[in-house]
Amino acid sequence: MASSGSVKGFFRQRKNITKPKPKSSSSSSKKSPHHPATFGADVAQPAALISHGSPDLKDGYDEHEDVLRQFDMNMAYGPCLGMSRLARWERAHSLGLDPPKDVEGLLRSGKVRLDCLWDGRV
Amino acid sequence: MESMDIDPENHLQRKQSLYNSMDEKFEIQKEMYRGQQYSQIYFARLHMMRTLLYSLVPNWKPHLPVCTVLGLEEGKECIIVGTLYKQMKLKPSILDEYSKERSATPLVKPHNFMHPDDHLVLEDESGRVKLGGTMITPSVFVTGVVVALHGKETSAGYFLVQDVLDAGLPPQTELPLISGEDKYVVFVSGLSIGSSTCNPLQFQLLVDHITGHLGDEEEQGIAAKIVHVVIAGNSVEIPHGLLNGQNLASKDQSRLSEPIKELDILLTQVAAGLPLDIMPGPNDPANFALPQQPLNRCLFPGSSAYNTFRSCSNPHSFELDNISFLGTSGQNIDDLEKYSEAKDKLAFMERTLRWRHLAPTAPNTLGCYPFTDRDPFLIESCPHVYFAGNQEKYETRLLKGSEGQLVRLICIPKFCETGVAVVVSSCIFSACSKFLGLRTVLVNLKMKTPPTELQNRDLAHVYMHAHMCVYVYMCVCPYSS
Repeated sequence: MASSGSVKGFFRQRKNITKPKPKSSSSSSKKSPHHPATFGADVAQPAALISHGSPDLKDGYDEHEDVLRQFDMNMAYGPCLGMSRLARWERAHSLGLDPPKDVEGLLRSGKVRLDCLWDGRV
Repeated sequence: MESMDIDPENHLQRKQSLYNSMDEKFEIQKEMYRGQQYSQIYFARLHMMRTLLYSLVPNWKPHLPVCTVLGLEEGKECIIVGTLYKQMKLKPSILDEYSKERSATPLVKPHNFMHPDDHLVLEDESGRVKLGGTMITPSVFVTGVVVALHGKETSAGYFLVQDVLDAGLPPQTELPLISGEDKYVVFVSGLSIGSSTCNPLQFQLLVDHITGHLGDEEEQGIAAKIVHVVIAGNSVEIPHGLLNGQNLASKDQSRLSEPIKELDILLTQVAAGLPLDIMPGPNDPANFALPQQPLNRCLFPGSSAYNTFRSCSNPHSFELDNISFLGTSGQNIDDLEKYSEAKDKLAFMERTLRWRHLAPTAPNTLGCYPFTDRDPFLIESCPHVYFAGNQEKYETRLLKGSEGQLVRLICIPKFCETGVAVVVSSCIFSACSKFLGLRTVLVNLKMKTPPTELQNRDLAHVYMHAHMCVYVYMCVCPYSS
């Protein structure tokens, strides 16, 4: 016998997302398409994850990570997949390939991702 | 009747040698698998070999430019260095199982996968190019060899090869001048204890000979010169029917461990007398991929009590009195035989030395651990004795390098089939420095008539031991010939 609890509790609750209010007073010319099928849902344009009042679009990507990704992609030091970045730097160093020293500094500082760009994705 | 007291003055002392193991690069205990693929080991191999070939190219063809595969221009003669890949029609591929049409692979697997349509491709990090021309024959090469090629790109898009450079024999430390008498090293492989065709008395006879329990004083004198024994793989054969993944009945469980126990009993007799190295082979209870790790000492409770017992990796590299030995249990040479052709097994062994790589087909067709920072199979210094176990017959040759290197190549036959063990002697005649004698003495323990294919043989001794005859042949192959 089905429980007499509310059906609403059965379905996953939807997060209450506050949309950022447009700063300019003039109304924007673009409006998200309002299809009857979606009934007000914004499936085509999911709202950005708000953290600390501004959209969090960076996902851990800063200029240090950019330098490291360039190091990952450089073919002269061999394939990057399956090795930690520091191990790959040390291999390049021991093979005499003279990898950039600032990459080593970044990797040993510990504030950056130690795995290569494709780790876990391939 | 004379007294049977042991006369201390007539005690024969066994000779001794300084042993130095060089197996650290074949150990994988410190390696951690992080999901890497084989691209890492190929990169390490290409980089080390390319650096070496770049240093050799100026002496070979100094006037030609060196470029990468992507930097090739049509019609321009240049030199490129890369890893060879051999496209083989008949090579078994896992994808053949999924193809709907009948592939070229016949239902019965051939022993050798060569086909006249095989062609070579040269590959480096930037790209790959098909190789053409008559100067490079696909039947000689296998995937994984790094070479330098002189040629030019044609309008058809392939690279027409005019000349090939391989790395050549690595540099060798000079053979030390040892004054004094011969010392012998015994090599045996393919004991296959536990197999239905193996006669346990043959190995017992060999052990008796090595430990000096056979013959009169003169034979014991020969045995006293044996300083080391190396067992090169396939020491046991576990009955295959037991290893099908099913739970074993209790009587079958004891059958599983009987071969090892029998081997341990025999090895204890050897280890009690002299240093012994045992290497794993394809049929032994060790890991499958090269480099095979040493057999666990727990398998040999009797022999491992002696400090003369050494369980070694495959490949195995060691030094005895500063003479360097390097060899495998035969998987590398057998795999080369499947994917290329040569006059005899010694020719394959010579090629591996000239390519400076023990097992070029690893990891393509030969199981190999995916190293990331190095390729441990690269041969950095030329050994004095290079051996391969578990071969069909005993063969040996003296190989001369362009820089005065001298290597004794030895194929060790399967003992269970041939009853042949190989004894290598080191004998330096200090009077004439050119005659650096490295002779091989063949000990044949078969009960049949002596083999006739050996030349220069001298029937040295005949033993009578429990109705079995042992013929000892001295095959004198001096170092300088």
